[in-house]
Amino acid sequence: MFTLARYALVTLVAITLNFALPRMAPGNVVDYLLPPEVAGSVSEADRQGLLRQFQLDKSVAHQYGVYLSNLSRGDLMVSARYGRPVRDLLLERVGWTVLLVGSALLIATVIGVSLGFRSGWRRGGARDVGALGAVLLADSTPPFFVGSMLLLVFSVKLGWVPTFGARPWEGASGLALAGGILQRLVLPLVTLVIASVGPVFLVARSAMISETREDYLLGAQARGLKGRQVRRHAQRNAMLPVSTVVLVSIGSMVGGATVVETVFSYPGLGRLMYESIVARDYPVIQGAALLLVLSVVAANFVNDLLYPLLDPRVRRSRSASQ
Amino acid sequence: MTSHPTNVNRRRRDLSPTARVLGGIGVALLGLVIAAAVFAPRLTPYSPRERSGLPYLRPGGSHLLGTNDIGQDLFSQLLHGARVSLTVAAISAAIAVVLGLAVAVLAGYRRGRAESALMGIVDITLAFPFLVLVVVLSTFLGRSVAAMVLVLSSVLWARPARVFRSQVLKVIEYGHMTTAQAMGVSPIRIVGVHLLPRLVPIAVAQIVRVANIAVLIEAALAFLGLGDVGRISWGGMLYFANTHNAVLTDAWLWWIVPPGLALTVTIVGLALLGYAIEEWADPRLVTGAGPVIGRRASARRLASPEVTVTSDTRALVLTDLSVVYRSPHGDVPAVSDVDLDVATGRIVGLVGESGSGKSTLALALLGLHRPPARVVSGQGSIAGHAVALTRRATVEPLRGRAVGFVPQNAMSSLNPAYRVLRQVIEAAEVSGLDDASGRAAEMLERVQIPPARWSAFPHELSGGMRQRVAIAAALVNRPSLLVADEPTSGLDVTTQLTILELLADLNRSLGLGVLLISHDLPMLARVADEIAVMYAGRIVEHGPTRLIIDNPSHPYTRGLLQSFPPLRGPRELRGIPGDPPDLRALPVGCSFAPRCAFVHDRCHTARPELAVVTDNRRVACVLSDAVPELSR
Repeated sequence: MFTLARYALVTLVAITLNFALPRMAPGNVVDYLLPPEVAGSVSEADRQGLLRQFQLDKSVAHQYGVYLSNLSRGDLMVSARYGRPVRDLLLERVGWTVLLVGSALLIATVIGVSLGFRSGWRRGGARDVGALGAVLLADSTPPFFVGSMLLLVFSVKLGWVPTFGARPWEGASGLALAGGILQRLVLPLVTLVIASVGPVFLVARSAMISETREDYLLGAQARGLKGRQVRRHAQRNAMLPVSTVVLVSIGSMVGGATVVETVFSYPGLGRLMYESIVARDYPVIQGAALLLVLSVVAANFVNDLLYPLLDPRVRRSRSASQ
Repeated sequence: MTSHPTNVNRRRRDLSPTARVLGGIGVALLGLVIAAAVFAPRLTPYSPRERSGLPYLRPGGSHLLGTNDIGQDLFSQLLHGARVSLTVAAISAAIAVVLGLAVAVLAGYRRGRAESALMGIVDITLAFPFLVLVVVLSTFLGRSVAAMVLVLSSVLWARPARVFRSQVLKVIEYGHMTTAQAMGVSPIRIVGVHLLPRLVPIAVAQIVRVANIAVLIEAALAFLGLGDVGRISWGGMLYFANTHNAVLTDAWLWWIVPPGLALTVTIVGLALLGYAIEEWADPRLVTGAGPVIGRRASARRLASPEVTVTSDTRALVLTDLSVVYRSPHGDVPAVSDVDLDVATGRIVGLVGESGSGKSTLALALLGLHRPPARVVSGQGSIAGHAVALTRRATVEPLRGRAVGFVPQNAMSSLNPAYRVLRQVIEAAEVSGLDDASGRAAEMLERVQIPPARWSAFPHELSGGMRQRVAIAAALVNRPSLLVADEPTSGLDVTTQLTILELLADLNRSLGLGVLLISHDLPMLARVADEIAVMYAGRIVEHGPTRLIIDNPSHPYTRGLLQSFPPLRGPRELRGIPGDPPDLRALPVGCSFAPRCAFVHDRCHTARPELAVVTDNRRVACVLSDAVPELSR
């Protein structure tokens, strides 16, 4: 119950912030609804007309009510640049971001967890130190720099993959389409994985280190279990903190995707945001950001719901308290 | 008061060699970047926005890194970019940390509703995806250095707030603050005297850490075109490079790589410095080389188990076992020159105070001792298999097969995440024999776990049940020897008795040799055929149970017997006078001499050897010739 209330509050804050920002920002609200080229030359009469059209002449409370009711119908205003509903633009792009972030999440988790568990199990060994160094470097290199370098080497110099886009030109279908999509996904994916594997690795490693001190491992060894079997026992318990960080890292991944999509001109929400920033298309920036923020909040919520399923001890204490 | 918070601050802050090296590298890297930023105008004649040459000039001549698409000098942009990146990061980090500190202190000081409201705001701020939030904020706040600082610090304060928060709670736990508050000391004084001194080192560490994130986020924002166009940072350089497709021209080498590397160098430098400062700020964070389970070397040796079968039919033969704990001040003896046998079908009780070395003995016997413990000598055989205890590999193949072990804290020796049946089956599979689940079920029945509970998780069982499961898992492959370390500790008296009965029953029905370890001599006496008494790492008396109980030879055994109240009759607890032995500084002669009521001059000069006296009884006491004199 408490969890639910907390997430409801976070959602409300996100929605309200989205409403308040253009109204608190310097300048006239109308300027944020129009393309920058036009905004300067709009007559006072047109300005008033726009204010009425978007009900911006009413009280803030009234505007907020309209905003909420529009939002509940999925209505997110109209793009200043395209003159199309923001919702439609988002729906066109969201699939690519889901594909990119989803596969990056999967791969970063598999790599980070398996390396982290290994490192933690043999803490201080050569491999552990090597992995730590590599993770430090990966964490410290800005993703857009990594992306630019990959683009340079594999697209421009080697010509293995196209330099931009997410899918081949019209006409491709079936396997060719899938292959083309994969081909264009590889570099953004690798970049995002490099950018986000660090936290997963570090948490997996430290979770494993703290499990190596547990009595049940001594018990498992006493029963004659061998190295790998004993490690599996530890891994099962070390998965708990890891599962939390994996879902929470969706947040930083979504942020990373914004930058990575920009480098590779990958047509997801991040690229859309970037294009809108350059074109000062404020309604789209807001809509994309709101969608991203709410998905991250939802991911955190799912994490809180899933946690008890993984830990039998928590499962019991929860059901006992209900 | 050792836990006074200011004492923690005054503790000498010695950095580990690792932290010193890493911190040194971090300082060097950052020094380089800062020097570039400070001396930028002297190092380059051009201003970063001035069109000082032709477009796309290659590096060389007066343009060290060439020029960009509109003829601006890239070397100048790189040096001046350092100024922007570092300034933004440093200022936002400082503001964010001060803000976080203020929130944490306020929450800690006011407690109650204000506290939960403040921490609620922290949680909400942390729930948002960083980068998306700052993108939206800076979209509306405009593209200037000041706006960037505002945006960064308004997002980055929450994490340090949480770190400070936990520190404030620790200080509150010490209680001084509450006391001072109750005494009417002014809030400012309380915060200044009790809180801030403790938090300052952590604040320094946090500034470095937040600056680390700030550099990265500033670069990302600038890269997305949200930077100050008038003051181009490294991220801004990359933005222009990206929008002008520098990747497609040769200019990438001097347009993209230098600012990218500069960012990496700065962030690595901050991360390394942060690591060192964090260790300095909180020495307790540093964990020494902890126990490492399953070292690679032993895992490799496992491949070729060296099992030699001897003709000895005793369950356990142990000769000359010595274990030390390695320490910087020399080796500390934990077990010394122990000889001990367990015949098949016999129960041998090993008794001693805590710290006498009995658990160390058990772990060494099974090759399960952890660093810093080290087996110096010891060999023997387990169920006829010769073992050299200085090499774990010789015991490893026998664990779970020839020898079962119920470790101390057996309650927690089961994995909390697996159902108990599964864990017993897993143990049964170790033998490589068929029908592991059938044998597991049979053994669980044998230890009287009702089948309805087999699929329970360990935490769902009572302590006694868990202990039975641990015993079943240890015995499922029908070993000849069971080593049980304090199998009844933590259980109530009734359950203790049923566990003992169970062990005695298994001993009889399976022909099992049992080495039963406990500090509780009367309890051991209920089931053991023989008793061995350990003191300061040595066996000081060993013999048939009846003899030991009725007629103890060693003064320490007598003390042990008397320190437990009889079950009936007058209950009078008499401990053994004096302190347990300090293994780091054992006396020259008999280790027990300082506490012995019968101490003799000879006791201080030479250590009495464990010698056979009569009837299989071994005693290590100079007075053992005079056994009758000692008897009650």
